[in-house]
Amino acid sequence: MTAPLLPLLAVLPLTVAAVAVLVRGVVVQRVLLIGTPALVTVAGVLLLVEHQSTPVIAHNVGAFPAGVSIPFVSDTFSALMITVTSFTTMVTAVYLTLTGEDRLRFVPALALMMSGGVNGAFLTGDLFNLFVFIEVMLLPSYALIAVTGTWRRLGIGRLFVVVNLTTSTILLLGVGLVYATAGTVNLAELVGVAGEDPRVSLAISVVLLALGVKAGVVPVHGWLTRSYPATSSAVMALFSAVHSKVALYAIYRIYSTTHDGEAAWAPVLAVVVGVTIMVGAYSTFGEHIMRRALAWQMVSGVGHILLGLALFTELGLAAGIFYMIHHIITMGALILTSGAIEQTYGSGRYERLAGLARRDPWVAAAYALALLSIVGLPPSSGFFGKVGLMQASASAGAWQAWTFITIISVAALGSLIALQKLWSGVFWGPQMENYRPDSPRTGRGRRVPLPKDVRIGWVIAAPGAVLVVAQLAMFLLAGWLIPLALRASANLTELTPYAEAVLG
Amino acid sequence: MTWVIPITIGVLVAGAVYLMLQRGMVRIIFGLALLAHAANLILLSAGVSAWRGEPLGDRLDLETAADPLPQAFVLTAIVIAFAITVFMLALAVIGHNDDTKRMPETGEFHDR
Repeated sequence: MTAPLLPLLAVLPLTVAAVAVLVRGVVVQRVLLIGTPALVTVAGVLLLVEHQSTPVIAHNVGAFPAGVSIPFVSDTFSALMITVTSFTTMVTAVYLTLTGEDRLRFVPALALMMSGGVNGAFLTGDLFNLFVFIEVMLLPSYALIAVTGTWRRLGIGRLFVVVNLTTSTILLLGVGLVYATAGTVNLAELVGVAGEDPRVSLAISVVLLALGVKAGVVPVHGWLTRSYPATSSAVMALFSAVHSKVALYAIYRIYSTTHDGEAAWAPVLAVVVGVTIMVGAYSTFGEHIMRRALAWQMVSGVGHILLGLALFTELGLAAGIFYMIHHIITMGALILTSGAIEQTYGSGRYERLAGLARRDPWVAAAYALALLSIVGLPPSSGFFGKVGLMQASASAGAWQAWTFITIISVAALGSLIALQKLWSGVFWGPQMENYRPDSPRTGRGRRVPLPKDVRIGWVIAAPGAVLVVAQLAMFLLAGWLIPLALRASANLTELTPYAEAVLG
Repeated sequence: MTWVIPITIGVLVAGAVYLMLQRGMVRIIFGLALLAHAANLILLSAGVSAWRGEPLGDRLDLETAADPLPQAFVLTAIVIAFAITVFMLALAVIGHNDDTKRMPETGEFHDR
């Protein structure tokens, strides 16, 4: 029934983006910017409800016969991703309006265009179409990185564009090789093909390599930790919620669909995952700026998410998917709250900030909860995320059990100590003496003595707080969410319904 | 003549890698353009290059007709590559000078 409406999820934000370029009124643009992701979130929830009875729904665009047409496919996994990313995008959109960044040229239109590309990438069932939607998602982000953030963006924008463009070209090359070896780029027709034909497996691994760079997997993570913190916090939250996660979603989807089991090179994946978790966690020690430390935690999170794929058991995939949702929300909470601190006191450096725990106790409490979540301590969603991954490793096999549990625990310990450095630098210590208030002309003004009554406003702290509450809700409602993650992982291991829905 | 396309792709990729390792943004952009051409050629050769007939209406001859799908891929890819090249050329004009490390004059207050 709802299948022909699936393309709308990508088309609607793109159309609204065009409207947002034409209609320049402040109120209209803000309504469009916040309303569209809100609408998509509702649609995602409706899809999730629908998938309780029908596991997969698919629509061939233009009603061309199956195999020739471009399919849009939705199952529990993609609906879950759409719901969570749109929700985070909506909260970030509110934050964009609070910092006034939405008044910069074309920012609402660019953000909406990005969310259209993201939804398309989640729903498409065709590798070439995936490349197109990833480009639709990246093109506005090239512009977003150029209009917001500190002066560093101007150099970093180049790094970001060059890395992502090279990777997109490699992705395109991989898609071409898949077509040359398998004769199709339709995922439903590629089910299990790479498991039988090593040439297809090699072509698919080129695609996965490109997606790995986009996700920020060690050793190809350097661009992420340099470019993300140089943008403004709102744009960094958008990027962290959608960019790496689209790549991770695509890796999950393509790897499990085409191989129908583990790939021949699965041990390489296991090594890469372990190294990513460790490098991300321990590199956090080297940073003295809040959002740069968080960028390293993102790298570590990418490793944790891919661990589910490296285990490739139903439990492992479910734990990885749960961790992905947790990571989107928790990272958003941390970045937006850091942004509120930077916006008020004019810096994100540990040594320029001090004593915020006494000055803004509520913001400090929210930040502490989010930090607990990223490390994996209760009461937080990260606790169940890491427990799930450890349980899945323990039941996967002897060597996986001791290797991965050791890696997760040692990395969590490293993150804990490294983030304590952030905590003691920013929230403890004597009161600050000076700060850099916002200046309408130059962005941030000169350093001036800090008046007693300057506090982080309730309004600007609210978006981060909403996400902290959301991750707390994930902790409390885990019993309801974990079956959902298990259903999503079943979409990746039982591929017959997917192929049947698309090919009819 | 089947060896012409692989060798062309090889030359294009070699040139692209060389140019992308240079310092200046404009050379990097040229390198990326070459890389995009290489990818397009790979896509084209994914449909067998010996088949050259038009895959159109009444002239369709299944023995010689080219595979239209890779051609559609390439068309899309060319448009995307073109758009990004234009955007990157704009980035090369604004932004800071890679050689002198001079900070751009954005009117903002610079702080380390």
